[in-house]
Amino acid sequence: MIAIKTKKRLTSVNPTSLALYGLIAWFVVAFLIYPNINIYYEIFFKDGNFSLEAAEKLLSSERAMRSLYNSFILAVSLVFTVNIVGVALVLISEYFDIKGAKILRLGYFTTLIYSGVVLVSGYKFVYGETGFMTKLLVGLFPAFDPTWFHGYWAVLFVMTFACTSNHVLFLSNAIRKIDFQTVEAAKNMCASTFYILWRVVLPVLKPTMFALTILIFLTGLAATSAPLILGGAEFQTITPMILTFSNSVSSRDLAALLALILGLATLVLLTIMIRFERKGNFMSVSKVKSEMVKQKINNRFGNIAAHIAAYCLFLLYIIPVVLIVVFSFTDAHSISTATLSLGSFSLSNYMTVFSDMSAFKPYLVSIVYAAAASVTVVALALAASRILHKYKNKWTFALEYSLLIPWMLPSTLIAIGLIVTFNTPRFIIGNSILVGTVWMLFLAYVIVHIPFTLRMVKASFFSLDGNLEDAAKNLGAKTFYTFRKVLLPIILPSTLAVLALNFNGILADYDLTVFLYHPLYQPLGIVIKNSTDTQALADTKALTLVYSVILMIMSAITLYLVYGRKSRV
Amino acid sequence: MMKKMVSLSLLLILCLVVSACGGGNTNSNAENNTSSSNTPATSEPAAEEPVKNEKLIVYTNANSDGRGEWLIEKAKSAGFEIEIVGAGGANLTSRLIAEKNNPIADVVYGLNNMLYETLKKENVLIQHVPQWAGEVETGLNDPEGFYHGLVKQAILLGYNPEQFTAETAPKDWTDLYKNEAFKGKYEAPTLLGQITPQLVVAGILTRHQDSNGDLGISEEGWNEVKQLFDNGVRAVEGEDFYANLASGKTPLGAVVSGTLGSKEEQYKVKAGTVSPEIGVPMIVEHAAIVNGTKKLETAKRFVEWMGTSEVQGEFAAQFNSMPANTKAAEQANESVKELYASLKAQPLDWGFIADNIGQWVEKIELQIMQ
Repeated sequence: MIAIKTKKRLTSVNPTSLALYGLIAWFVVAFLIYPNINIYYEIFFKDGNFSLEAAEKLLSSERAMRSLYNSFILAVSLVFTVNIVGVALVLISEYFDIKGAKILRLGYFTTLIYSGVVLVSGYKFVYGETGFMTKLLVGLFPAFDPTWFHGYWAVLFVMTFACTSNHVLFLSNAIRKIDFQTVEAAKNMCASTFYILWRVVLPVLKPTMFALTILIFLTGLAATSAPLILGGAEFQTITPMILTFSNSVSSRDLAALLALILGLATLVLLTIMIRFERKGNFMSVSKVKSEMVKQKINNRFGNIAAHIAAYCLFLLYIIPVVLIVVFSFTDAHSISTATLSLGSFSLSNYMTVFSDMSAFKPYLVSIVYAAAASVTVVALALAASRILHKYKNKWTFALEYSLLIPWMLPSTLIAIGLIVTFNTPRFIIGNSILVGTVWMLFLAYVIVHIPFTLRMVKASFFSLDGNLEDAAKNLGAKTFYTFRKVLLPIILPSTLAVLALNFNGILADYDLTVFLYHPLYQPLGIVIKNSTDTQALADTKALTLVYSVILMIMSAITLYLVYGRKSRV
Repeated sequence: MMKKMVSLSLLLILCLVVSACGGGNTNSNAENNTSSSNTPATSEPAAEEPVKNEKLIVYTNANSDGRGEWLIEKAKSAGFEIEIVGAGGANLTSRLIAEKNNPIADVVYGLNNMLYETLKKENVLIQHVPQWAGEVETGLNDPEGFYHGLVKQAILLGYNPEQFTAETAPKDWTDLYKNEAFKGKYEAPTLLGQITPQLVVAGILTRHQDSNGDLGISEEGWNEVKQLFDNGVRAVEGEDFYANLASGKTPLGAVVSGTLGSKEEQYKVKAGTVSPEIGVPMIVEHAAIVNGTKKLETAKRFVEWMGTSEVQGEFAAQFNSMPANTKAAEQANESVKELYASLKAQPLDWGFIADNIGQWVEKIELQIMQ
């Protein structure tokens, strides 16, 4: 009997999966552990001995400590505000019966197509010193201070609305999995709307919300553009300092140490979340699916209030985007003063960008890289999640945490670690040299996107109902067949969403790209940076917006192709 | 429905994978082609006629606004095939240092003295004195012969002409924090990740060089820099300083000579500039050959060609710049010549600056900035 069991167990691990495990192990060791440990070693043991000088320098700097503190304050505040706004958006667009939800949803999706400096400048067109809202307020209350929009509250405001992208994608997917019969049953038992939300809807959203909470926290810690532009002297955060330091050879130890602190803080939170994940089985993926029906809000005032809130949010989201598009047709003077006049409109910015055919090659290069890297990283994360879902032992524990290493280093240092490690033949990659090949950039893109992808893919794996897999097995389905036909369809929406997000993120990346790109294949991010650099002669302000609009269009197309058509099914 | 949807998405993924792999293949093919076309060329004796130029990889931070394309075209007609890798100066320097065991670049041009000094120290450059080196204005080239000047840029203190006149404007950077009238009216060089703010700071610190002081600077020097930061307005990422100069929000601050003309056109305000007695930080864009290049002879020929007064003069006329080559300087545009006639280069010890700037920035970021 025992013999049969052992035999069965051995044959159940087929050679294909063994090869897959081997491949993942090799990748983790060769590209996550080796180069990153190497750069840490280079930084902290440069003269052969370890020194605590970096820590001392940071501890004695009041500004560094205050910035670090501010980063944590921001991260914690965002966890609350973004979750609240994000859940509200999803309820408005997916759960409640709100008139015009389809259009509203488009508005809520706008954060997916732009980010960083451009997003913040979009908000500045509205709330900044010369912004439209500020002008309105000054007109109403002459004593109003036009420089009101700065500091902690301004940063929190912009980031709260800017960071809901993941919510509208992943929570929407999760909410569609609610078993409508349970909602109906609760209603029949006279449960209030609020009670149903709390006891039926929220539990289903929990695994996704845990995953998203980690991401919000990390985004808060890594905040760069919003604090730099809106924070002013009173609300500085740590990431701008990390970026400055990581570009200077003599200060890299400080950058690495600070990044390590942020990374460890994220890990602590993550460990807590993983505990929660293990503790609870949240799932009620309905076995007999019955379509979600949007819920009407019966209370009249409640209904009106919900509609007003929904449309206010819509305006809040859409106006910055519209202004960026409008201002991309004007010139530096109009942009910096936020004034619109008919005379300053022209197409010349767009003509500059598309003036010759060689301007198209970088788009192609970036699209190929983005597609290749985002597909690879999703495939890797799927395989890893499958392993993490199936087994629980010290190896999977090690695997999970190894895959999170890229969160421990700023991307500049990851790039430098890759160069320093792979510019001589290394045994682990078959004694070849990677520096100077097209693979360098591809690998770097894959590496930095692993943690995010893993978090999201894993979350959807853990919301799977184990019974489905068992049922398939009982019916005689093979492992891969079960994966392909039973599990994949359920996790596909989230997986595709991750794919699209990664793709868009890679399209215009600069920080990593600048160190690793191949001379013959200049990606888009480099072109954009070159033509909008402060030293450039052209109208850099206008060109920045033009490129942003182009990227918005590209991102929107990607989302539509990969994700948008899907949600209609 | 579900089935169809799944198979459709699988197909999509497959397409993406195939196209991605296809892309990857073409990439590596193209690379093989270039490398295979290079290998025989390298083994050829260089002295043989006619000279064969191999394809060069050129790193630069000065290729925006069509300058890169212009150089590629010109080089082509002179028989050189070049590929340009463009990036910011600091990033480019980091990349060159990281790649030094297996260099990709053959030539690097456009960086300033400070960055070239760093590269020299890291053994990234080789010594090569081109024939045109003698035509370059004295004091600009590297005395050790690693890099040689092409284009001059000056970092100037600019002011809004409506708020200040030549008389009321500050006479030097030091006036900004010593004179109460300018308090809160100038942009402090807070974005220290960029080169221009770094040089503004270096221009003040190096006046107080003291081998016993902290990081080679006397107590007084650090005090002055502290005042510079305390009394100025923080620069905001994403804002163009010239816009704030034009609007009068911060009417004083650093401007780079090469961009003055186009900024004036964009913001309809012509900034006044200050010429301090001590001179202005003059950053010179140089050309140098990368240590370990496999195409040394071609790289040398390219640098020889690139720095000649003909090429540099034509470049200056086209892009409104000021050549370091004295012969080429005659061909510069009148307005540029006029500006430079009134400017003097501040004597700066670039080696000293390059050695210390990283730690200076660190100290300012951690201890001086608020």
